Amino acid sequence: MRTALLLAPLVVVLGGLFGGALALAVAQSLGFAPWFGVRAFPDPSHFAALWGSGAFWASLGLTLGYAGAATLGALALGTALALALGRAFRGRGAARAALRVPLVVPYTVGIALAVVMLGNGGVLARAGAALGLLADPGDFPRILHTHAGWGVIAVYVWKQAPFVMLVVGAGLAGMGRETREAAATLGAGPWTTFRLVTLPQIVPALTTAALISLAFNVGAFEAPFILGGGHPDTLPVLAWRDFNDADYTRQLRGMAAVVSLVIVAGAILGVWLLLYRRWERRVGRA
Amino acid sequence: MSAAAPRISPAGRILVWAAVGVVVGPFAPLVVQSLAFRWAWPDLLPGTWWWERRGASPVPLAWDYVLSPVSRVGEATLNTVGIGLAVALLALLVSLPAARVLARGRFRGKAAAELFVALPLLVPETAIGLALLMIAIRMGLAGSYAGVVLVHLVPTIPYAVRMLTAVWQGLDGTFEEQAAVLGATRAQVLRLVVLPMLLPGVLAAALFAFLVSTNLFLLTFLLGQGSIVTLPTLLFAKVAGGALDATAAGIALVAALPGLFALMAMDRLVREDVFERGFGG
Repeated sequence: MRTALLLAPLVVVLGGLFGGALALAVAQSLGFAPWFGVRAFPDPSHFAALWGSGAFWASLGLTLGYAGAATLGALALGTALALALGRAFRGRGAARAALRVPLVVPYTVGIALAVVMLGNGGVLARAGAALGLLADPGDFPRILHTHAGWGVIAVYVWKQAPFVMLVVGAGLAGMGRETREAAATLGAGPWTTFRLVTLPQIVPALTTAALISLAFNVGAFEAPFILGGGHPDTLPVLAWRDFNDADYTRQLRGMAAVVSLVIVAGAILGVWLLLYRRWERRVGRA
Repeated sequence: MSAAAPRISPAGRILVWAAVGVVVGPFAPLVVQSLAFRWAWPDLLPGTWWWERRGASPVPLAWDYVLSPVSRVGEATLNTVGIGLAVALLALLVSLPAARVLARGRFRGKAAAELFVALPLLVPETAIGLALLMIAIRMGLAGSYAGVVLVHLVPTIPYAVRMLTAVWQGLDGTFEEQAAVLGATRAQVLRLVVLPMLLPGVLAAALFAFLVSTNLFLLTFLLGQGSIVTLPTLLFAKVAGGALDATAAGIALVAALPGLFALMAMDRLVREDVFERGFGG
């Protein structure tokens, strides 16, 4: 009884806002929009229209491609940084503080930095010109505003590698160094120690960081909107464009795109939890 | 910690300092640009700095604009900080009791409750934002401070609950029992034992909620409906075209400030181990 009372504010706020939003999104995508005079519930035609269009699948591919590539990059870089920061060297405190800066500034600041550095008139292009490598801004390889998404991925990795570093660093600190040192004493090389001792220890931390980053990247709007290649856009941008269309029936298709995003995120979460539980059983944690 | 940590390898050293360069380095051209009068391709540094033209303007032109009411930077800063404070306070009020239950209680469905709390971090922001916007429009909350603060609670509460659960776990119940055995009243236990021991962790959680809120763009952009500007939405409008002029550089620097201040305060407060356990573990 007391438990229920203490949990009540959380359940009301989170359940009301988050649960209510999800429920309404699903209802709307299935044709429940009385404020537009649409009372067709349940009507799967918006999903049919969306999923039947090639643009949707191109969008989904871009969304998953950017999100996956950026998450892998951030995991690799963040783990390497966490391991390096666990060692002693001059200036460790300063390096640790500097590497946290991306964590605390908005994505829009990261985007501004990407424009300054990676744009065709940006600092890297100017450096190339100073070195005589290129004569015209147009000679600089297109990093921003392409469907390859280099700029989008760069901003995600810039922002999320420090997050992975923090989470994995916390995991490593919780484990202590003894087992790793024992492996080294017993003759294991650095790579063997990492693969057989360190990696299994940080799997929970890596899983947490990967899930949060991946879910964020799948649903991120501003980076692909500003730095992406334009039509086809990632799913969040597609949903937003539909949502702002003057034709209000497009809003329902936009909601179908929103629900598709949730399905994608749910599938990622489900698969991940399944694999994680299986791993726990294999290493004998559960 | 046993003995001192082993020395870093040369490759590790290169990696760390290269990463520091990539992380902090890009802020330098931002500062340079905000102080430039003219910076044409392909010059590595501005051809004309503002102080060479200080007759025309006693302060850097970009900063003159950023600091004037026309740019709305002052208004956006006040909004960002005010919304952040309100969100931090509300997130604490909602999360503190729940975290106590999750840390100490044993009840059926506890693992499910923990996963439920983590879910808003795992569902795309766009989905939450667009769906809540529809509800907010119906309820007349779109474009209001109340609407923005409410929607900011969705991504901040999961972090606050996680951090506060760790805080409650750190506060072993035996201290409260000892105080009670020694004759303290319930009020005294709360005032003299529980609150002082909780305070650092609670402050850290509030700071983190503040930080998350000040960094949010999309939820503010959608629910604010353009009438409530914060630093991230103001900067978005400036860089949305894909180019960056001197005034945008200035705004980007201002937009980084709340986070940098929070980082300095947080360094001594935040426990990092709240994420190490994984989900539903």
